[in-house]
Amino acid sequence: MATRSQAARRRFLLHPPFVAMGGTLLIAAFFTDYNYLSSSLFQWANFSAWLITAGLVLALISAIFLFIDLLIGGAGRIRWVDFAILALAVILSIFNALVHSRDAWTSVVPDGIALSAITAILLLVAAFRGWTVTGDHLPGDGGAA
Amino acid sequence: MNNRLQLVVVPATALLAACAPQGQDPRRQAGPNPWLPEPRQFLLPPMSVPKAIGWKAGESPHVPAGLKVQALATGLMHPRIVYGLPNGDILVVESNGPGTVPFRPKDYIQGPIKARGGAKAKGGNRITLLRDANGDGVPELRTVFIDHLHSPYGVVLVGDTFYVASTDALLAFPYTPGATSIPGKGLKIADLPAGPINHHWTKSLTASPDGSKLYVGVGSNSNITENGLDVEQGRAAIWEVDRATGAMRVFASGTRNPTNLAFEPTTHQLWAVVNERDEIGPDLVPDYLSSIRRGGFYGWPYSYWGQHVDVRVHPQMPNLVATAIKPDYALGSHVAALGVTFSAGQSLAPAFANGAFVGEHGSWDRWPLNGYKVVFVPFVNGHPNGMPVDVLTDFLGPDHKSVHGRPVGVALDRTGALLVADDVGNVVWRVSAAKARPTA
Repeated sequence: MATRSQAARRRFLLHPPFVAMGGTLLIAAFFTDYNYLSSSLFQWANFSAWLITAGLVLALISAIFLFIDLLIGGAGRIRWVDFAILALAVILSIFNALVHSRDAWTSVVPDGIALSAITAILLLVAAFRGWTVTGDHLPGDGGAA
Repeated sequence: MNNRLQLVVVPATALLAACAPQGQDPRRQAGPNPWLPEPRQFLLPPMSVPKAIGWKAGESPHVPAGLKVQALATGLMHPRIVYGLPNGDILVVESNGPGTVPFRPKDYIQGPIKARGGAKAKGGNRITLLRDANGDGVPELRTVFIDHLHSPYGVVLVGDTFYVASTDALLAFPYTPGATSIPGKGLKIADLPAGPINHHWTKSLTASPDGSKLYVGVGSNSNITENGLDVEQGRAAIWEVDRATGAMRVFASGTRNPTNLAFEPTTHQLWAVVNERDEIGPDLVPDYLSSIRRGGFYGWPYSYWGQHVDVRVHPQMPNLVATAIKPDYALGSHVAALGVTFSAGQSLAPAFANGAFVGEHGSWDRWPLNGYKVVFVPFVNGHPNGMPVDVLTDFLGPDHKSVHGRPVGVALDRTGALLVADDVGNVVWRVSAAKARPTA
């Protein structure tokens, strides 16, 4: 099905590295939340707050580079399923950043860690789908090239 | 997963939509049995900080009929505490917090909002002396009494020793009557809890009527333990220092931020104004004025107003909560009571003969704003009796969007006039009887 010109397709996209970095930080926030749940040590909750904030900053950078990727062209079509997964993760993380701005135990338990867990599951799916919002096929599909 | 998503997202959205509840009438929360709503958790806790604009020449706060107000001193550097020496000299502690490292993303957001209200202005780190020998409210002399202090707050004179509670140490200076300045760094009597976080930095100070003991109020190192329990060692407590030996022990605990201490003159009982916790609603938790019992536990962090458990603290301590003392008198939520002094006779008016003046710095996390005034709590037989009465008001600008000044410490001068430190207007206000009355 590789009928569209592969030559016009860029080998490297700008947005996936930033999606990967931001996504990794947001996944990590689930683990720091879990450590806070297990230990009650406040520094784990602080780590979570910073990881979520940094993850959201990278999400903003990712969105800018996605826009640039589309502007340059040759990025392939938008994969709306991946876009929706990532957008949902970002929306949940915005709520989660606000929950984590509370003080002490209830900044994590129960709302914070629940949001972190759902976000982490969404982002693991996004990771296995290649941390990308554009392109015609999933990595490991084989055959296309 | 869809169901799980809905479980979280729907309540979260509803919570965000309803995140700016209005505070109720503050008078419901004045007195020994305040109305206490259910605690709430927010996504965006309300913050309302009026813009600091200072006082123009000729402007002043408002006093009730029969009283007059005048500026005893202006152009000060963040005055927090006023203190009257026996010879009539007036000391003004000019100070602000030493600053603290931002720990969390929210610190970068709340800090600048509070700075709008003048909370981050540079303090003088000194004590200024004012001498108004003829008592007309116009000082003839103004000198730097003690300089180069480290965020000083509470001061007290006992005999010939002048004590200063700076944020990290209790210091003693030799004093001779009539002195207008004291050189040197003072003698360190004791270290006080400070450290890199130092959330509530003020250390309030008073002495027992017989002068044998000092009492130091030390605030918590967090709103509600979000900086961990390790950094709360010795905090949220009132310490007793034996003057003869220097021995220190915790006199009472669970007092979140005991911002000022005073002895009630008829019963010789220690009283404190205490600032309670934030971010569980505009009407929680009332700051209070309370007698302080030796060995008493007043709730923080585990509970408030007796046995109302705070779910934000983990692990909880039900056994300790069971022992928590209910404070004597609620002043209202978030009024930020910072100053307290007991009246001594009818120098202002008969209505103010017996009770406590309380300086309320004003709220930052509540709408409508609360506090921003000096009130008088009437006492009968050594206990509060009746609603608070406004003494000095109109610190706020029109629509409560701006603020001229914010009252902090209160004291009586030798003539019985009420002095009020204003750390945004950088003024010391003097409230006296409009018509001269015979001094007691």
